[in-house]
Amino acid sequence: MIKFILVQNRQGKTRLSKWYAPYEDDEKVRLRGEVHRLIAPRDQKYQSNFVEFRNDKIVYRRYAGLFFCVCVDSNDNELAYLEAIHLFVEVLDAFFQNVCELDLVFSFYKVYAILDEVFLAGEIEETSKTVVLERLDYLEKLE
Amino acid sequence: MATSMRGLTQYISDLRACRVRELEEKRVNREMAHIRQKFKDGNLDGYQKKKYLSKVVFTYILGYKVDVGHMEAVNLISSNKYSEKQIGYLAVTLLMHENSDIVRLVINSIRKDLEDNNEIFNCLALHAIANLGGMEMAEALADSVLSTSTTFVKKKAALTLLRLYRKHPSVLPIEEWAERIVPMIAELDQGVAMTVTTLITAMAQDHLELFAGCYQKAVDRLDKIVFDSETPATYVYYKVPNPWLQIKLLRLLQYYPPPDNPEVVEMVNGVLQAIIDMSQETPKNVQHNNAQNSVLFEAINLAIHLDPESKVVSNASVLLGRFILARETNVRYLGLDVMAHLAACSTSLEPVKRHQDTIILSLKDRDISVRRRALDLLYSMCDTTNSKVIVGELLRYLQVADYNLREEMVLKIAILTERFATDYEWYIDTILTLISTAGDHVGAEVWYRVVQLVTNNEDLQSYASSAVYRHLQKPQCHENMVKVGGYILGEFGHLIANESGCSPIEQFHALHSKINICTAPTRALLLTTYIKWVNLFPEIKEHLINIFRRYTHVLDAELQQRACEYLALASRDDNEELLQAVCDEMPVFSERESALVSRLHSRGDKAQDKRTWVIGQSSDNKDRVAERFKSFRKSTVDSANSGGGSSGSPAPPPKQLSMLSAPSPVQDAARSGSLIEEEPMMGTSSSAMSDDIMSSLAGLDLSTPSAPTGGERLLPDSTLSAEPDSITSPIVARPDDFQHNANLGGVNPSLLAPLTVAPNIEKWIERLSYANEGVLYEDKQVQIGINAEYHGSRGRIALFIGNKIATPFSSISMKIENSDPEALDVKFHDEPVTGIAGLQQVQEMIQVECKSPFTEPPVLRFTYLAGAFTTLVLRLPIFLSRFIEGVQLDQGAFFERWKIIGGPPREAQQIFPIKLTATGDVNLEHNSKVLAGHRLSVLGNVDPNPTNHVVAGVLHMTNTGKVGILGRVEPNKDAKLCRLTIRSTNDAVSAEMLKLLAKPINADTALSQ
Repeated sequence: MIKFILVQNRQGKTRLSKWYAPYEDDEKVRLRGEVHRLIAPRDQKYQSNFVEFRNDKIVYRRYAGLFFCVCVDSNDNELAYLEAIHLFVEVLDAFFQNVCELDLVFSFYKVYAILDEVFLAGEIEETSKTVVLERLDYLEKLE
Repeated sequence: MATSMRGLTQYISDLRACRVRELEEKRVNREMAHIRQKFKDGNLDGYQKKKYLSKVVFTYILGYKVDVGHMEAVNLISSNKYSEKQIGYLAVTLLMHENSDIVRLVINSIRKDLEDNNEIFNCLALHAIANLGGMEMAEALADSVLSTSTTFVKKKAALTLLRLYRKHPSVLPIEEWAERIVPMIAELDQGVAMTVTTLITAMAQDHLELFAGCYQKAVDRLDKIVFDSETPATYVYYKVPNPWLQIKLLRLLQYYPPPDNPEVVEMVNGVLQAIIDMSQETPKNVQHNNAQNSVLFEAINLAIHLDPESKVVSNASVLLGRFILARETNVRYLGLDVMAHLAACSTSLEPVKRHQDTIILSLKDRDISVRRRALDLLYSMCDTTNSKVIVGELLRYLQVADYNLREEMVLKIAILTERFATDYEWYIDTILTLISTAGDHVGAEVWYRVVQLVTNNEDLQSYASSAVYRHLQKPQCHENMVKVGGYILGEFGHLIANESGCSPIEQFHALHSKINICTAPTRALLLTTYIKWVNLFPEIKEHLINIFRRYTHVLDAELQQRACEYLALASRDDNEELLQAVCDEMPVFSERESALVSRLHSRGDKAQDKRTWVIGQSSDNKDRVAERFKSFRKSTVDSANSGGGSSGSPAPPPKQLSMLSAPSPVQDAARSGSLIEEEPMMGTSSSAMSDDIMSSLAGLDLSTPSAPTGGERLLPDSTLSAEPDSITSPIVARPDDFQHNANLGGVNPSLLAPLTVAPNIEKWIERLSYANEGVLYEDKQVQIGINAEYHGSRGRIALFIGNKIATPFSSISMKIENSDPEALDVKFHDEPVTGIAGLQQVQEMIQVECKSPFTEPPVLRFTYLAGAFTTLVLRLPIFLSRFIEGVQLDQGAFFERWKIIGGPPREAQQIFPIKLTATGDVNLEHNSKVLAGHRLSVLGNVDPNPTNHVVAGVLHMTNTGKVGILGRVEPNKDAKLCRLTIRSTNDAVSAEMLKLLAKPINADTALSQ
């Protein structure tokens, strides 16, 4: 299962964090720092999208200046989560029409709502982009 | 959804505009005070509450502690507007913890929303429970998941139940649900089908029998997806039918033993073969390729689980062979991973062994993730025919391996060496080499194990004694080697005493010359060795008694007590029998599972879903399988087990006794060296011997694996020992003659060139003096980067040399000039490359070892031909401070040591000008960066003046030993001067450290500020 999802920029600023395992606040700060230091220096071209982290592993992908990282159990299917990240990014991109880092800052509450439609309780919830986007459209229209 | 809230947008913009952290904090505090006031005044409408709460949440996300808004969040949840409710729930889930008290307040609101007719509200409530989870919610939820609610509610409810199940498995009535949930795998909606499969996978692991019906359902569903293309277009992801659902189903099947019914087997195999057939082509699109491979790898895992010898698996292993050579790193990584699964379950390692050379090469991959997988695979595929090659490669690689990989490597090498030893000499030689080269990374279990095996095998004892004695005679010797030596020579030294050069007095000198580098526990062990020798070697009794006498005055209580007891025992002239009885040979250790294996298996055990296999050999996995399916149908257990009965592995199937793994606190204590009781006190008379230690010493008999019975084991290695390096470094004919002719004197000009001069070189090298990575040199053609890692007195430096032009570099020669080889050892790990293709980068490893203080960094001479010969002569950033490790001291401890060291010559001091920051302050950030970069610990609370820095560290050197370093940096803003004082126990070190630390801070010399 997913322990946490982090979206960080290249300077290490966290733009989205979602925790599916109970961590104390200061532990969260530590994890953010550790993940950034682990992921940011990795080579885009010659290194894989997976890296061991403590007892788990991190599956990550970089989109422009943002790193999308998911921390999963060591026996989880890496590619499934790598593509789940991509699916999530495609949803964001369609929803915000060319998503950029600032969308995640200013509309953080919407991003959390979108996240809850794609991932829930540390598992992948919905894998159809169409279904998720239709739902989000519907929610947008509600007062 | 809440559309734009202007106040919020303004607040976020304001915060983004803050250039400095202090301004941001000010703005946040102002806003929070304002909001607190507003909340206190009350009378807010829904929109205002929502807006303020959003601000609070944003502030929290930025990392500030917030103490307002909890009650308003609870209020907002009961609003009737979706946008307000959503913010309320968001605040609750972010600000509250699953254990916080306020969660109780929202339970009723959540229950109300769950029972509401509005499915949007149902979903919000489910999100909240999935995030916060609570025991009390379990019952209320059961109905909504099973009732005929909409698909949206169903899929969210399934995952919410999963969360509750993982938290509190006992409160849910699993029995009642099983038969209602299982049919939902066939649910038309793919979102529901997938989440339900996820839920079942978790529950079925604990209740195999109860959910047994899901097997057929899952197979049917897979069959429909793969053959009937039932997947609606919206669920097709880049031409792959819902890969996530396929993966979930394939994973679920791996939690059950292979089915008995031949029809089901055939059906599953059909699906698997179809998936493999569809994956023969590599799609161009990245997403398509990944999605296809994600399903493929899961399918292969299932195929291996069902029957590692099947045709499907052999087809798949052809693909795997291609994958581990693939260009994409991800594919190589996954190929190695699945191959390790194959090696771990299969009875024949032949299909994997075919790729041995490729796998060994993968140890040098540029990605540590791939290197780890290669290590795991090599560990799994090792057997008696290739053990010498693999262990040899691992030992070689250990020298340059990443530090955080080394401890695991040492464990694995130790296990393989023991398990697949074909002769005693090899076992002893390898394990001793391991202990001497891996040094600090050798856990206590490793050397305990050597002692067990030697004690239990008479045939080993004499060879082990002479081998360990040889190691002890070397000028440098790790403490672990002294421990092994002390124990083995104490027990079996008499077996070699008659050989030339091994007389008792020589053994004594060899061992005793090392006592000064040892910590107290090892000294205690050596005292025990000496009392054994009093019994065995009466001729050196006088020497030994002298030692005991000296140790009766040491400060350490344990050592002193031992010395006194042993002295009394040795001086009793009247009664030899007592000494003999006390120093009798150690009894044979009882046969138990190796603590090494259980230690290794205890890693990575924390996954939510159980592992379906572990890294290791088929023997490691068979028992696991049996254990997992114990409760399941008896007949299948047998069939699952009988498959691997004829394993070629000579090791007895190890039992997994996790309680035998050495307790980790012992490990940590041993490393910090702060505890004295943690080491086994080997002597039979020791008062500190405990049962715990004895149990971790208990072990296996080596006689089974080592007796050379089968002809297979003694296969000549000639076919396997082909040097794999020849592949990586193709020998290019070097135009050396040309080079020589070019210079009339016949001297290679590159050897005479002075240090290369370029604008930034000094700056780069200065920065690298206090950083582990950075640029060493760069021009139009070439870039050289550094990434270094240090550990005690040793380090490894990766040199990244990039060719920035399209023309290939040829005739490369790289040499390191080291002005002081006595003090510093620097060498390339492998023969350096001779060519770099256009626009490519290569990595060269350099190993360094600091033996005693040095001042001149080594120089790299790098010559390449790209049109014309170019020679670069660069200093390597290897400075004395790189071998320091920081130490934390409090004020009292610091000044005590400061005073003990005293003034010159052990103190070095300099006063120099400094540059102030733009605001006219001392550049504290730069100072502390420099100090910490020189690997010293910057100590807080020692000096009351905040602009001063106080630092401490220990310099590690293999010959000179450890040198403590203390330092104080006292800048004076008004005078623009800074006083730097270094005190250490070695005056050469003080002077050099002063020079190194002053350079980047001194305004006259600093370049990197």
